[in-house]
Amino acid sequence: MGAMITLAAKDLLLLLRDKFGLFWVAGFPLVMALMFGSIFGGGSGGAGSMKIAFIGEGNEQSVQGFLAELSKAEVLDILPVFSLDSAREQVMKGRYTAYVHYVDSSDGNIYSMFAGEARPTIQVGIDPSRKAERGYLQGLVNQAYFMRLQQQMTDVSGSRKALSEQLSSLDTADMNTQDRRLLGDLLGSLDHFLSQVQRADSAATADTASGDSSATSAQDFSPFGGTNIEFVDVARKTNHPRSMFEITFPQGIQWALIGCAAAFSLSIVTERTRGTYLRLRLAPIRRWQILGGKGLACFAACLVTLSILMLLGHFIFGVRLGDPWLLLVAILASSFCFVGIMMFVSVIGRTEQAVGGAGWAIFLIMAMAGGGMVPVVMMPSWMLAIGSFSPVKWSVLAIEGAIWRGFAPADMLQPVFILCAVGLVGFIIGTMILARRDR
Amino acid sequence: MISVRELKKTFGNITAVDRISFEIAKGEVFGLLGPNGAGKTTTIMMLVGALRPDSGSVAIDGQPDPTRPDVRRRIGTTPQALAIYEELTAEENIRFFGKLFGLSGSRLKERTEFVLDLVGLTDRRKSKAAEYSGGMKRRLNMACSMVHDPSILLFDEPTVGVDPQSRNLIFDKIEELKVDSRTIIYTTHYMEEAQRLCNRVAIVDHGRILDIGTVDDLIGHHGGKSVITGILVEPPSRETNLPGTLTDQTQWRLESDHPIEDVARLTNDGLKFTSLKIDRPDLESVFLNLTGRRLRD
Repeated sequence: MGAMITLAAKDLLLLLRDKFGLFWVAGFPLVMALMFGSIFGGGSGGAGSMKIAFIGEGNEQSVQGFLAELSKAEVLDILPVFSLDSAREQVMKGRYTAYVHYVDSSDGNIYSMFAGEARPTIQVGIDPSRKAERGYLQGLVNQAYFMRLQQQMTDVSGSRKALSEQLSSLDTADMNTQDRRLLGDLLGSLDHFLSQVQRADSAATADTASGDSSATSAQDFSPFGGTNIEFVDVARKTNHPRSMFEITFPQGIQWALIGCAAAFSLSIVTERTRGTYLRLRLAPIRRWQILGGKGLACFAACLVTLSILMLLGHFIFGVRLGDPWLLLVAILASSFCFVGIMMFVSVIGRTEQAVGGAGWAIFLIMAMAGGGMVPVVMMPSWMLAIGSFSPVKWSVLAIEGAIWRGFAPADMLQPVFILCAVGLVGFIIGTMILARRDR
Repeated sequence: MISVRELKKTFGNITAVDRISFEIAKGEVFGLLGPNGAGKTTTIMMLVGALRPDSGSVAIDGQPDPTRPDVRRRIGTTPQALAIYEELTAEENIRFFGKLFGLSGSRLKERTEFVLDLVGLTDRRKSKAAEYSGGMKRRLNMACSMVHDPSILLFDEPTVGVDPQSRNLIFDKIEELKVDSRTIIYTTHYMEEAQRLCNRVAIVDHGRILDIGTVDDLIGHHGGKSVITGILVEPPSRETNLPGTLTDQTQWRLESDHPIEDVARLTNDGLKFTSLKIDRPDLESVFLNLTGRRLRD
């Protein structure tokens, strides 16, 4: 094992010193993941709309008014639902981006808040990773809430009626005498103000321009404090990708595996053409140790690159790690598979040109058929059938299975078995051909 | 002790090595001298177990399987082609091969220092091999095969493409190793190298050994006579008994088994020379006489 580790360490050092080779192993896959992720939008909801489940409770007029205002936002695709649990379920399954739960337990009188009654409460349930949508939605909900208030405030006759009701209810309100007097004065002054506004409106009924001006000033008038919006984290439990990056990162991983396999398959033939393979064979180690060292280096490079890609995807692009243990199994199986393919490709030709050319041809076909270029979820059925012959498909499936397909360990068995079998067969064939050539 | 018996190897229709046999004693420097394609490298590769012979056998210190790790630890092979990692430094190359041969810790450090010093690369130990001259790469190639302190050293044409300075340095180092009583097998197509370094030489051509012996024995048996050429100060008188042939009255040539004695006798007889040259037979003449061709044809 010591000799294999020595060989692997040497190969990894050589890889690190080869900046161009390193780009194909680590840089290119990331570029692919980001490029495809950006092309396909980076969000499963699409760029055009955000699907929102809406639950309204309490004062019907208030609920409908708020819903009407919220619906004016073209970016929102709102579906009213009847229960909070149902809305939460839809968000958890990823069918909706968020839910908005609007509760107005007041009697609908906008001045009732002065009597200490609760303002409407708004609860937004959204996956914590959807930071951009969360901020955007907060703005839209705030806007709808204030537009609703503005609408109520600019209805002068309605407001005076509400004020009158509120003044008469003051006598029975649960508050001390001083507060009752102060609030009575405030509401009385407000009623006086509104009566003057009403007279001015009557005097200038034809002058719509002055009406606009008054609306503008009312828009700036906000004596009621902020909205009462509560955000609730609703982590999705879904068998759908949360964003396109959850599709493109498994794809990028395939390119990382291909990059590693291509680099190390060339390193074997390079050792032969540059004579160092002979020196390795003259060392007191067996052939399987030499090849094992190569395989170990390739395997280690795959693991490191895949881990870096997954961590970048997770921390920067919100790609879930899903079931980390299954993900680890998927990564190990994929790496092993590509080590075997590397061994096979390395003996296809006797020169670097032959191995490089044939290797990339094989890898490209595998990638095309297996979902390395076109995401598996977007493939037509006939292409999926062809893709079953490509290890790339099984690797994508295993990684996606762990990340977002919700695979159970039993579901993971098939892709992992296929990947390991391909790896083993590749390793055995490669070793046999190499041994034959050494004679 | 190394014993090679009836070793044969063919590649398709070409017989690279044809029933070669020889023995090498411990501490001996044994040369395989022959032109390119004579079968020297193939013989070496079978000797160290890198190639499987079609027939025949090899035994190293009585051990018939040279691929055994314990046998390989006793052998250091410097391949004809450079076998170093150009992207690694000299020190990294040497340490890597040292580790493969089981060295570690202070022993590895000590041996790395020793071979770097031996091949004169201590000052450039941190430079990548890619930045070395051809001669320096050759020396590093040698160092990598000696790091594990082998008792048997095989040098397969170690001076090919090397500048004269590096070549002399390589000769000096091999002569130092001779003193250290290591067994050395040295293949070359430069007869001067074999003549300078080897105790015994096998003349190889077309996969067969034509003869084996010490340099003096080979020359004695196959080298032919020494050739004396000279220009006389004046044409010799009719009475002078001058052996050999005379052209243009003063240009003289003589083939002799005892050139010094012959020249001394003639000068005592009063013959005077403007210039005199004695060409003694060498391994080149041995090869020429054995094959009818020159080594570098």
